[in-house]
Amino acid sequence: MSDVLFLILRRMRAPLIVLITLYAVAVFGLAITPGIRADGTREYMSLFHAFYVVSYTATTIGFGEIPNAFSDAQRIWMILTIHLTVIGWTYTLGSIFALVSDITFRTAVARSMFTWRVRHVGAKFFIICGYGQSSAQIARALDRLGYRIVTIEQRPERAAKLVIEDISQPLIALCADARFPDVLRDAGIHRAECAGLLAMTSRDDVNQTIAIGARTLRSDLQIIARVKDATAQQNLLALGGIQVVNPFETFATNLALDLDAPDVLRLEEWLTDSPDAHCPNRLGIPAGPWVIVGFGRFGRAIARVLDARHIPWRAVDHRGGAALDDEQHQLVVDDDTDRALGGADIAHAAVVVAGTDNDAANLAITTLARRVSPKIYVVIRQNHVADSVLIHAARANMRFVQADIMVHECLQLIKVPLLATFLRRVAVEGSHAAAAVIESIQRSLGRGAPRVWTFHCDVMQPGMFAAFFQSGGCPLQLSLLQLDPFVADESLACLPLMLARGSDLVLLPATDTTLMPGDRILFVGDERAERLQRRYMRDVTAVEYARSGVEPPRTWLFRVLRARRERVAQSRRQAGSDRGN
Amino acid sequence: MNLEKVIFGFFIILACTLNFGFFIGDIDEPALHHPMELGAAVAVNLIATVLKFGDRTHLGATHLATSLVASLQLVAAAVFWMVHVYGQGLPMDGPSVSTVVSLSGGALLANFISITLLIGETLRQGR
Repeated sequence: MSDVLFLILRRMRAPLIVLITLYAVAVFGLAITPGIRADGTREYMSLFHAFYVVSYTATTIGFGEIPNAFSDAQRIWMILTIHLTVIGWTYTLGSIFALVSDITFRTAVARSMFTWRVRHVGAKFFIICGYGQSSAQIARALDRLGYRIVTIEQRPERAAKLVIEDISQPLIALCADARFPDVLRDAGIHRAECAGLLAMTSRDDVNQTIAIGARTLRSDLQIIARVKDATAQQNLLALGGIQVVNPFETFATNLALDLDAPDVLRLEEWLTDSPDAHCPNRLGIPAGPWVIVGFGRFGRAIARVLDARHIPWRAVDHRGGAALDDEQHQLVVDDDTDRALGGADIAHAAVVVAGTDNDAANLAITTLARRVSPKIYVVIRQNHVADSVLIHAARANMRFVQADIMVHECLQLIKVPLLATFLRRVAVEGSHAAAAVIESIQRSLGRGAPRVWTFHCDVMQPGMFAAFFQSGGCPLQLSLLQLDPFVADESLACLPLMLARGSDLVLLPATDTTLMPGDRILFVGDERAERLQRRYMRDVTAVEYARSGVEPPRTWLFRVLRARRERVAQSRRQAGSDRGN
Repeated sequence: MNLEKVIFGFFIILACTLNFGFFIGDIDEPALHHPMELGAAVAVNLIATVLKFGDRTHLGATHLATSLVASLQLVAAAVFWMVHVYGQGLPMDGPSVSTVVSLSGGALLANFISITLLIGETLRQGR
């Protein structure tokens, strides 16, 4: 707001001074110009009357000669006054209109409105820097989860479109460069309602700057950055506290999992998919040489995976610059794709990757490859969300959609942060552990409903405080969290996948594990189990009821009465046993 | 020499001197307080106020505050005069003119502070 006021004051200074001066000259001039009364005597107009006359004359209202008919001298002065003040008003009004249409002024107004809306948002929100295909999908998903979205987009034409974005709560958008810390500050990064920041612009260096800036401004915030370059990724990971999503690397990692440990990938896809999806089947990539068309960052990421597993591959690219680091002459550089595919020996390849950054070209490559070898396994890359129909028509065996991977990864990080840790841990343990997890989930929960959530033994929650500190030293066991908090002896449809205690991780923890304050447990189960389990955090009496099956008294008076009754009962029992002896 | 400083100083000092000129003289003697001088003081004070717009420093803010006080007091004095003479049609007598003059006296104090700030700023610059 102060920017707007400052600009107005600055710009209006000259016009206002001109106007005041003209009024002063006109009023004083009129007051010292002699007038003639009807009886012929001289009379001077008072300052009050002069100001009155100038006021209506300057604004060209013109009531006439009030209070008395003017003398000729006064008329001469009025002619001057009219012309001068009209010029003054024109200048002032012109300055006001110029100011209102001025781009600096409008930017300042837009900025202060944005700041005001962020300050009064009144709900948890995410800051998304850069609004492209993936950001739009993430924004819609977060909107469904009940978060507000604050977007900062640098390109004015993109920013102008944000107002028509079809989501339930309007976006709070600003057209600015998020690399500047004051922009992030105005976007509410310091506010308690700010749940996280996503740096999703199309440029790595911009995302890197935003993420580092945000991390410096607020160290406890969840920050997710989209990065496609390995160096930038290492920089950000070295800084710590920033989660990096690299779509090419993610796809390559998935590919590597599928080649090495297909069950780990199955588990990952199953748990991160939408609720009530079935456990997916193995992809079944055939063994044999690969042909990678399009040897950019995507092609190289795949080539690295293949190299690590000693799978032979050839690459095709129409740009010669890609050949620089080609030691084994695996790269064919040719403008004619058909000839290049022949050069890469497509006839004997088992898998073709259509991975250029042009969707039409990828379709053409698929067709050409199938003409030579109809049974070939096709991995296709889709660059634009709008081309989804085209890419579906190609009926490829595996699709790489950058926006989908971004959305998937980011939502996973936002919704259940512990799940990413769990999946990484399972990947380390290998396919065997993953198969065991899948089997135990299917055995206890059936095939559907892979809903995943985290239970946090947070002693700031009233229920957990009571369970740990007001239970008289009775330990809290993990099996208790699997009981229904309303109906004694009924169990909930859920299974603990992992226990995180500090930096220690326990896969599939035993149900008789004693919980400690601060433990986080990753559960899989159905929606009802998640909802009911939350009672243990919020409800002070839930844990005690689940332990004993008796609803404990909630008020002080009844607690005192119960303690008294227990004492009486105990002394009676004692008396009875004494008599028995 | 900086022309902006000349204009700035000119208006601030003129605002104070005109104010002083109107204020000086027996407080309840209408003949010693000319309405023209009050009008001039109002006009020059308004210009001085506008001149101080848009300075973001702390000193600038204090400057603007003093001018706003002075303008407010002088405009109040002028409005009182106007309502008394033209609104109610009464002659300017001793008690009424003393109200106007005391209001302008308050404005004079604000103008003194303004000048003190101006001098302080000038001395601190040292060049």
